[in-house]
Amino acid sequence: MNIIVCYKLIPDSEDMVIKPDGSISLDQAEQVISEYDLLAVEAGLQLVEKNGGKLMALSVGTDKLLNSKSKKDILSRGPDELYLVTDASLANADTSQTAKTLVAAIKKMGDCDLVLFGEGSGDLYFQQVGLQVGELLGLPTFNAISKIDVADGKLTVERSLEDEIDVYSISLPAALAVTTDINVPRLPSMKEILKASKKPVVEWSLQDLTITGDGKPRVDVLAVRAPKSADRKRIKIEGSPEDVAQTLIGYLSKEGVL
Amino acid sequence: MAKEIWVFSEKPALLAELIANALQLAKADGASVAAVVVGNQQVIDQAFAQGAQKVYALGEKAADVLLDDFIPTIISLTKSKTPALIIIGATRQGKAVAGRLSAALDASTITDAKYFNQDSGGIEVTHLIFGGGAIRIEKANTATVVMTQGSSIVDALPPNASAKGEVESVPFVQPAWKATLVERKQKPPASVNLAVAKKIVCVGRGIAKKEDLSMAFDLAGILEGEVAATRPLTEGLDWLPRERYIGVSGATVKPDLYLSMGVSGQAQHTVGITDSRVIVAIDKDKEAPIFPQADYCIVGDLYQVVPALITALKARK
Ligand SMILES: Cc1cc2nc3c(=O)[nH]c(=O)nc-3n(C[C@H](O)[C@H](O)[C@H](O)COP(=O)(O)OP(=O)(O)OC[C@H]3O[C@@H](n4cnc5c(N)ncnc54)[C@H](O)[C@@H]3O)c2cc1C
Repeated sequence: MNIIVCYKLIPDSEDMVIKPDGSISLDQAEQVISEYDLLAVEAGLQLVEKNGGKLMALSVGTDKLLNSKSKKDILSRGPDELYLVTDASLANADTSQTAKTLVAAIKKMGDCDLVLFGEGSGDLYFQQVGLQVGELLGLPTFNAISKIDVADGKLTVERSLEDEIDVYSISLPAALAVTTDINVPRLPSMKEILKASKKPVVEWSLQDLTITGDGKPRVDVLAVRAPKSADRKRIKIEGSPEDVAQTLIGYLSKEGVL
Repeated sequence: MAKEIWVFSEKPALLAELIANALQLAKADGASVAAVVVGNQQVIDQAFAQGAQKVYALGEKAADVLLDDFIPTIISLTKSKTPALIIIGATRQGKAVAGRLSAALDASTITDAKYFNQDSGGIEVTHLIFGGGAIRIEKANTATVVMTQGSSIVDALPPNASAKGEVESVPFVQPAWKATLVERKQKPPASVNLAVAKKIVCVGRGIAKKEDLSMAFDLAGILEGEVAATRPLTEGLDWLPRERYIGVSGATVKPDLYLSMGVSGQAQHTVGITDSRVIVAIDKDKEAPIFPQADYCIVGDLYQVVPALITALKARK
């Protein structure tokens, strides 16, 4: 079976700089694969290992995707091929722009049995792109998938909802977004890291694709800032564990919370 | 047609909160509030009791039918009526409805919206990004705006059992594809509701072994509070059930006392504790980001501090 797994490259939030005026800067941030997408990659890899076929990774974004380190990073995690669509206009794409671009790329990539997504992206976390892509492609589409098996050309999946776990039988092709606990992604082995740079990479621009619509965002971003932090007392309590315990109890009873 | 704001949720308690929010927003420009309901007369009556002025009744759902099978009906209804706004309960199924609906409408859903702020040009909302590390103010520019709203963002109104309104029956649209429900396993009921706990002892990865959690339960026992955790202890390590983790993807808490042990204080976690009255942090790393966010800061080994604290609290009783 041929599987496409979509992933997003995001700025590492550890590198986020909060400026004195409360605005944030990610200019210096390292670009990393969104953590949740690694679980989708692992899920795809396990299916291909078991059932044969190939795993193709796909991402749309800016030319940061073309960085050789990040190409190697995704390919060392198992995909056989990599497809990248880059354009400067995708820097702040909303979910609808991202989904439409992915749909156009998936159509151009040809036959595929399953499209996989992470639960949401580590930066914006809308949890929407997989569902939108599936709907636009007219495929059976589900989120919250915590287990995937394939037999006789059909999928059996577990869907983890708030109060229940549903088991569905779904026909292929399909689009699925996986949960944050579907698996524990393996770390790339030395062998996979060496193999990564020899795998095929296909690079497209927006002009190479047939994208529907006006290309404009549906959601406008009015402001981005750091959350206001409450003023806390920040009282240090030091000493032996026994002293610390007594001092803390003193403070807490004064606060009236004991 | 007069301007309408719609609400949809398969969870009755959440639906009541969505209606309360929609009524608030509708006030600004005289819109009316309609609930899109999959369910029987009782569910429809409940929507009216909570303040909905109209109900679009999609019919009852048989046990082996999925809520997702109603999405094509919701899409076709929304396309024909073009409500100004549809607020969907931010459950996993709600997010599936929102995603597929917004694709069909050529819109983009704002998920987990907070602090709805209505002005003449539309509704501005706050959406956390980077796991709570930053805030974005967003506004959708589509004819129908789609948003999802989680629980406890807006309080439900007291129900008025005698309230009635117009019911419009909506014919079912056959979906182009269906999944077959093979089995439904109920999850065990949640053993704890952190959202209402007055005192919380929160454990992080500073706890070295599962057995050592007993320390946290002892402390919580003496304080008559609940034990909570960071995500890695519930997803990944599986030491505690998921309903016990606090943070952007977990619970939001507002206790009088939140005491952490071995919690570094990453934004994804602390976004869930900012409404705590008093925050105590115990961590051996004096640079841990939890400390600037705490009222009482104890730099030390939790394996020494917590037993001493338990002993001292016991002696006090
Ligand atoms: C998109 C996204 C969403 C996330 N959502 C959530 C969420 O909702 N909730 C959540 O909690 N996390 C969430 N996370 C994970 C989050 O980023 C952190 O990884 C997590 O909160 C850290 O957990 P921790 O503090 O237990 O572990 P660590 O960060 O590993 O901290 C352990 C702390 O224990 C201290 N320690 C170690 N030994 C001792 C000792 N003997 N005595 C005292 N102190 C000790 C260390 O100094 C350290 O500060 C999310 C991550 C992402 C990327």
